[in-house]
Parts: sequence; C-alpha cells; structure tokens
Amino acid sequence: MTAITADKVSFTSSMYTGRIAHIRNWAYLGLLAGLAAMAMFAGDGYVEDNFVFQMFSLEGVKWMAGGTVVGMGYAFTTSASKFRAFRFSEILVPWFDGAVLMVALMGLYTLFEPSEAMITYEDQSNLFSGNVVMTMNVAMLFSALCYIAYLFAPDSFIGKLGTATAWIGVYAGGSALLLRWYESYLLMGGDIGHAPVSNLYEVFILLFCVICVIYLTLESRHNARGLGAFVMPIVAAGIFFAIWLESIGQSDIKPLVPALQSYWMKIHVPLNFVGYGSFAVACAAGMAWLFRNRLEESGSQSRLLAVFPSLKQLDNLAYKAVAIGFPAFTLATILGAAWAAEAWGGYWSWDPKETWALIVWLVYGAYLHARFSHGLQGKTLAWWAVLGFLVTIFCFVGVNMYLSGLHSYGQLT
Amino acid sequence: MQGKHGFGGEYARLKKPPSFFNVIFNLMWLCYATMSFYHHTLKPILNRVGSMPVAILLLVLLAVASVIGTVLKQNQDQVDYLHQFGPTWYWTFRSLGLFDMYHTWWFMTILGLLMFSLAACLLRNTPRFLQEMKQRKGTMNENARKHIEHKFDLSFDDKEKAISSIKTSLPDWKWMETKVGNVLWLRGDKGRFHKWGYITVHTAMLVILIGGWLSVQFGFRGNMAVPEGGKESEISFLKGTSTDYLKMPFEVRCDDFEINFFSTGAPSEFRSTLTILEDGKEMMTSDIIVNEPLYYKGVRIYQASFGDGGSEITLKLHRLNKTGNVDVGHARIYTVFKDPYSDVTLELKDFRPYNIENMAAAGEPKDFKDMGPSVDFVIRGKGLKPVLVRSFMEPFIANDQNQGSYLMISKTGDARDFETFLLGLDFSEPKEWELFQAFIRKIPAKAAASQEEAQQANLNAFRAALDEVYPDGRPDDLPMLGNRIIQSLKVLPDMPWPFVPVLEDYDQTYYTGLQLAKDPGMDVVWIGSGLLVGGLCIMFYVAHRKVWVKVLEEENGQVTLEVTGISNRNPIAFEQEFDDLEKQIKTAYEQGVKV
Repeated sequence: MTAITADKVSFTSSMYTGRIAHIRNWAYLGLLAGLAAMAMFAGDGYVEDNFVFQMFSLEGVKWMAGGTVVGMGYAFTTSASKFRAFRFSEILVPWFDGAVLMVALMGLYTLFEPSEAMITYEDQSNLFSGNVVMTMNVAMLFSALCYIAYLFAPDSFIGKLGTATAWIGVYAGGSALLLRWYESYLLMGGDIGHAPVSNLYEVFILLFCVICVIYLTLESRHNARGLGAFVMPIVAAGIFFAIWLESIGQSDIKPLVPALQSYWMKIHVPLNFVGYGSFAVACAAGMAWLFRNRLEESGSQSRLLAVFPSLKQLDNLAYKAVAIGFPAFTLATILGAAWAAEAWGGYWSWDPKETWALIVWLVYGAYLHARFSHGLQGKTLAWWAVLGFLVTIFCFVGVNMYLSGLHSYGQLT
Repeated sequence: MQGKHGFGGEYARLKKPPSFFNVIFNLMWLCYATMSFYHHTLKPILNRVGSMPVAILLLVLLAVASVIGTVLKQNQDQVDYLHQFGPTWYWTFRSLGLFDMYHTWWFMTILGLLMFSLAACLLRNTPRFLQEMKQRKGTMNENARKHIEHKFDLSFDDKEKAISSIKTSLPDWKWMETKVGNVLWLRGDKGRFHKWGYITVHTAMLVILIGGWLSVQFGFRGNMAVPEGGKESEISFLKGTSTDYLKMPFEVRCDDFEINFFSTGAPSEFRSTLTILEDGKEMMTSDIIVNEPLYYKGVRIYQASFGDGGSEITLKLHRLNKTGNVDVGHARIYTVFKDPYSDVTLELKDFRPYNIENMAAAGEPKDFKDMGPSVDFVIRGKGLKPVLVRSFMEPFIANDQNQGSYLMISKTGDARDFETFLLGLDFSEPKEWELFQAFIRKIPAKAAASQEEAQQANLNAFRAALDEVYPDGRPDDLPMLGNRIIQSLKVLPDMPWPFVPVLEDYDQTYYTGLQLAKDPGMDVVWIGSGLLVGGLCIMFYVAHRKVWVKVLEEENGQVTLEVTGISNRNPIAFEQEFDDLEKQIKTAYEQGVKV
C-alpha cells in the first residue's frame, strides 16, 4: 500500500480530493465552457431573455453535454500521472457544488410561488423570495449573536452554530437572489425580467453573501473562528439597512433603464461586490487586530485570547482578504470601463462613482505598498484596513445617496 | 569689454574652419557634460521622482483632487455655479478650473508626473528584480537550514532512482544541479517568475496612463443632435467653460427615432436608425440603441439622449375681444410664431407627447398620471411681461371631474418656477368657448339695481346661452360646466394677452442625441488593463516555492536526501504541499522499484 491510499477515505472526502475531484471539476468547467460557446456561436446568437429557455432546450443540452464530455476527457488525460496534485480542482469543486445546491434550492422554492393570477407588479409582497430573504436575515443575525457569544464561551458548540447559521444565510441569500431573477420574469408578462443586481436592495443581499462566503472560507482554512464576531456584526448592520430599504419600498422588482440592459451588468456588478465584500472582511480583521491589541496591552488574562486568532494571524487575514478583493475590484473596474466604452462613449468619464472607485483602488494599492515596500505591519495597517472600508462604503452607498452622476440608477428614489 | 572690433573678431573666428582637435575636444566635452548632467542632475531627479514618498504625494494629490471633482459637480451651467457660490468663490473656483477640473493643466500635470514617477520606479527596480530572478543559489548552508520550518530527511538505497522520484513528484518544477565536492545538490523552483508580477503591474499602469494620454491628445468626444429626417456633421463639446465644434468627415442622417415603453410606462428602449453619408453617398445604415453603438471609420456613435426635433404644432388662439374668434396657428418647435392680428409672438421652445406627473399629495403613495401632450413657449408683446407658458391639449381632470383647461406659467422663464392657472373652460371642447361667448353677449350691459336682480339676469343669460349652443338638450356635466364658466369669468377678462393659446394638434418629430467619440488610446488602455489583471494575479496568487535537496551518499551505498523548502507566500498551503511531497517521493520511489 502506498502512503496516499493508506489514508482513511470516506465517500465525501473522496468526492473532494484527488482524481474524482479533478474529473468533477473539469466536468463543471466543461459545462460552463459549453454554455459560453452556445452563447457565442449557437444559431441565433445570444438573446438575453431567451438564454435560459435555450439552455433547457435540446440544443442547450447538446452544447452542455458536449462541453462536459470535453472537460472530463481533458481531466482523464491529465490525471494519468498519479503524482500530480489536484489542488486547483480540489479548491474549485466545492464552489461548483454549492452553486448547484443554490440552483436546486431555487427550483424547490418555485413550487411555493403563488399562482400567476395572484402575482401583480403593483403588489409584490406575496412573492416567495421575500420569505427566503427574511430567512437569510434571521440566519445571519442569529449567526452574528452566536459568534459574539462564542468569544465568551469558546468551548461550547455555539461557535459551530454560528458557522452553520452563517452558511444557511449564504444559501438562503444566494437562492433568494436566483428566485428573484426567476420572479422578475413572472411580472408584467416577462418583459421586465433581469438579473437581480440592479438596485441597492438586491446588491446588499449579494454583498452579505459575498462577505460571509469570503469570511467562512478564511475561517475554515485558517481556523479563525474568533474573527466572526467582527465580520458578522458588519453584515448585521447591513441587514438592518436592507430591512429599512425594504420598508421604504426599495425592494420591488422594477424594469431596467435602457442603460443597464446589457450582459455587462451581470459581470461588472457581482465582481465589484467580491471586492467590496473582501474589503469588509479586511476591515473586520483590522478591527479584531485593534481589539486584541488593546486587550494584550492592558494585560488582560481573558479566556477569549486563547481562541482568538493571534495578532500576526489577524494581520495576515486582513492581507488575505485584500489579496482576494484587490484583483477582483481591479478587474471589476476595468470591466466597468469596458462597459462604459460600449454604452457611454468613453472608458473613463470621471463620473463620481468611477472616481471614487479609483480612490478606493488607490487606498488599497497604498495598503499593499505600505505592506510590501515599506514592511509596515500591525497597528497602522489595521487602521488602514478599517478606514479603507469606510472609503469603500462611501463609494458603494454614499456616492449613490449624496452625489449624482452616470451611476445614479443606484440612487434611492 | 567687448568693443566693436572685438565683435568683428568673433565673427572672423567663426568663419575660420574649426581644427580637428577642437572638434574632438568639443565632442568630449559634450559627452562629459551629458554624463555629468545625467549623474548630477537627471539621475537624482529620476531617483527622487521615482521614490516612494513622491509617488505617495502624487497619489494623495490625485485622490484629493478627485474627491473635489466629485463633490463639486462638474461641467454645469456657469449661471448655476454663480448662484450657488456667489461671485467671489465663483471666480476663485473658476480660475482654478474646478468646474472642469479633470481637464485642467494642473490635474494633467499630476497625471503626467505620476507617469514619470512610475517610469522612474520601473527603470530603477526592474534590473534588480531581473537580477534576483536569475540568481539561483544551488546550495544551502547548514545554519540556514536550521531556521527553516519545512524540511525532512529520507533515506533510499538507489541514488539515481531517488533523484528521479523527486523530480517526478514535482513534475512542473525547474531543476538545477550543483556539485560541491562529492555532494550533489538539487534545487527546484516553481513560480520563479513571480517578480514579473510587480514589473507587469507597474508597466501596465504606465501603459494605461499612456493610453489615456493618447485618448485625450488624439481623440475627441462630442455630441450632435440630429432631427428625424435631418442630417448633421458637426459635433459640439465643452472646452473649459466654453463650447467648441468639430466637423466630422461624414454626415449622419437620422431616418427614424423611436421610444419603446414597458407596460409600466417606463421607457424600455431608445432606438435610432442612422445612415452615414459621405459626399452625399449613403455608406451604411444601422440601428443603434443605448448599449449598442455604431462604428464607422474609427468613430463610435452612441445613443445618448433625445429631444424634440422641431415638431409641427397647431395652436388654437381664442380671441379675448368682442369677436371671440378662434384662429388656428401652425408653427414648428424652435421657431417664432407671429400672431397676424397683434404684435404678440410665441417663441416655441419644446414639445412633449406625454407629461407623467405624481398626482398624490406629499407623503401619500405615488400616483403617476399622464397629463397628455404639452407645448412650451415664451409669449412676448408690447407691454407684456415675457413669461414661459406650458399649454396642454387636455383639460385637468381631478377626481374624475373636469376642472377645465389650464396653463402652466413661469414668470422667471425657469421651468422649475411653473405655476398652474386654471382657465375654467375646457378648451378642448369648442362648444364651451361658444357657450362662454354667447353668455357674455347675453349678460345685460346695464348695471342691475340689486345683487339679486343681477344674479337672476346672469342666470337667465346663462340659460339662454345654453339653449343657443346646446339646442338638442343640456350637456351631461352641467353643474361642473357651470363651475367652469364661473371660473373663466374670474380669470379670462383679466388676462393680459389678446388671446388664449391652447395646444390643438401636433405632428411630432424627435431629434436623436448622439455622442460621437474617437479614441485611439482605447486599445492601448485595454492592453494595459489586461497586463494589470495578469500582473496582479501573478503578484497575489503565484508563490515562489523553492526546494533544496542535499544528496548525501553514505558508505554502505545508501543515500540520504535532506529536503528543505521555502515559499514566499501562502505558508499554510505550502505546508500541506510540503507534507504531501514527502509521501509522494516515497510512493514514487517504491513504484519505481517495483517496475
């Protein structure tokens, strides 16, 4: 027996390790490539509102199956060598499985949708997604409480409960957004259907999910559960804002203004929120650093110091989060420029939102320089991460509320 | 002292051909001067400009200026600025160029200096990075190994097999062998090019800035308005605080413009059908919508806005004199209509086919209602105060009751100051004007003796007028009609104008607002963007991992491999990888032996 196969192998772990993970991963990637190829090369080309129907037609199945087969074939040939590590696949596969689960949940919810006659544009309160969003709110708020309680009772199961409810919140939020997407096609005979990233309320839900996912990934990789007590309250604050938005009628599905009717919206907006979300996690890590530092300086013997990540770890976590967010934010801004070039006649117009995105970019660029070129660590960087997130919040919400410009469709009305 | 002769002497010396030594000397001096200039002036400047504090200063300046530019709305009407800030601040801000800040010389200078700073930084650091990437030390001393976290020792029988099993366990790594005495060292590298990340990212930003400069320098961006059926070849754009024009090498004709609506009433699509003409010849015809521009000879044509393109308007002028005649006037938007019977003119400003207004009171849920078509004009005449008027085709209906026609009047000429004036009569119903006229005619001229008598006389007159205008029976909404007549008796006699203008009919023409842009720097910017993202990915996600293997041969033929590993980032993943490596080497060796 070799050392590798001598390890205990359970069914679930075998699905996520080694060759099986590799093949599954490439099957997923092949499927996505098949879809992309269909969008680009299939008969009638890409028609926004038809694409989902095309996906589930015979044509769509052919393209997807073809892509899957090609992907798996590639995986088989590349996994011939037993000594290869399949790290890339092992990292990606759980994400794909999660996405599939979200879509499945969404499919399940559609069964609870009121009958067509009950659905009106004027009163959208009976749509099922409202319930799922409420589930997300409750789960995430509960999770925030659990994480805070965990600091004071580190041995109890309450920390695990926090992690579990945060995951429940993520799945509820993600599937609620997918359901909203579906619901937007139920209204007004389907002519206002669009991706659920078109107003402040929807992107807030997206933001909560992104923050949680990034944090939970860091938590599981770096065993940093104590950080949750700083991340989840940020989410909780956001949830109260979102509930307020809902109460003033900002949660309704509305038709898209012509400027937003573009496939770019589906790419540009979510990617931006990967950036915002990771900056939020970096901010939480910064706050946690400052908190722990304060405790240590005061000579505290608190028990929570034992479960709380060390200063060095927190410093590293903040950097990790920025390392996820910065490239994503850069790419999102570039893709935004590409969209602007297509829709507004110039890739850069010094529109307030663009300008603030540049400022955010400069702030985090400076953070990275301070870290690498100047070897700065600790307090300064922790404060930097916290203040940087304040700038990010202004870029995200403040610009829409206080400054007008080409991005004004994100405005509160 | 330079006298007249001296001057002549100088001149004479210039005419003399310079000697060979002179030329050599001059050249040498030139070389020296250049080098000296480089070393004593240019290099320190480059070093200074490329230094981190200067770069940070520039970035902070850029950020602060950007914030100012977003807080202070750019490129608004100068009058608005003057109102907002008052003359002192207005002129201060204006002289600093803050109203079009992103195009001022000083903002450009910041960006330019940033380019220099980036270039200098690259020039200074690239050679060092390249050097560092090239240098690979094949050995590692014992002392250093002691302090390294990731290491293990493995013993095997067969030296060659052991070495090859290392290499198969790390298949994509770059290997180097060094022999020190009898001891063989292996060094493997993965992600050695990670320093290219820094170089690429900074080069990319330079490329993007250069692209931006090319766009500003050699590109243009401006607007043109083309009425349906009309042609245009000139764009206008803002330059500082004034407007400038540029002629295109082609003409754009708008064949059609249409707006589609969602069933909620919100616009869903603005679509223009455009034809490009060159010397009168049709080159191409295409539809554009907001996210799908047209591309012709390096110029992109975008759907940007729309407005009235000179709609044909029919106005009914109800004379407020004894005749009570109703005249019909025709005019186009953007022209001046002259009343043939008086000196009054109407300067037609705008036409809207619909006016969606919120009818709900403040605080109540919104209730949107279309008030119907309207026309805006400025009315002028001798002794009249010129005012802006909006006249509607349809009467004002509130709570299902007809409140009669109305005008919106702005005494300042600003659309924000519109006030509503109910005219009483429903002018869309010609009979009501007739009734009003008949009524006035029938009111007795003589003053009545008492209030009651007067009321009775008025009522009789009204009845007689009704009989005259509506011989086949009374109209249905008689009570409201009575109210309307009473309201118009209050309003109409006091009107300063010789007639009541009411929109009667229209033949709408739109203009399509196009934005034309040529951007030769755009592709450069995309190249820079691609480099930027690629470079960032290398920077953040490629770890430079190094493995040293010291192959120790012992006397009994056994070999011991002393394996040591370092990664410059992501230590947790590397720990995992390094643990796996030990198992993989063993597996590979065993399988190799079995074969």
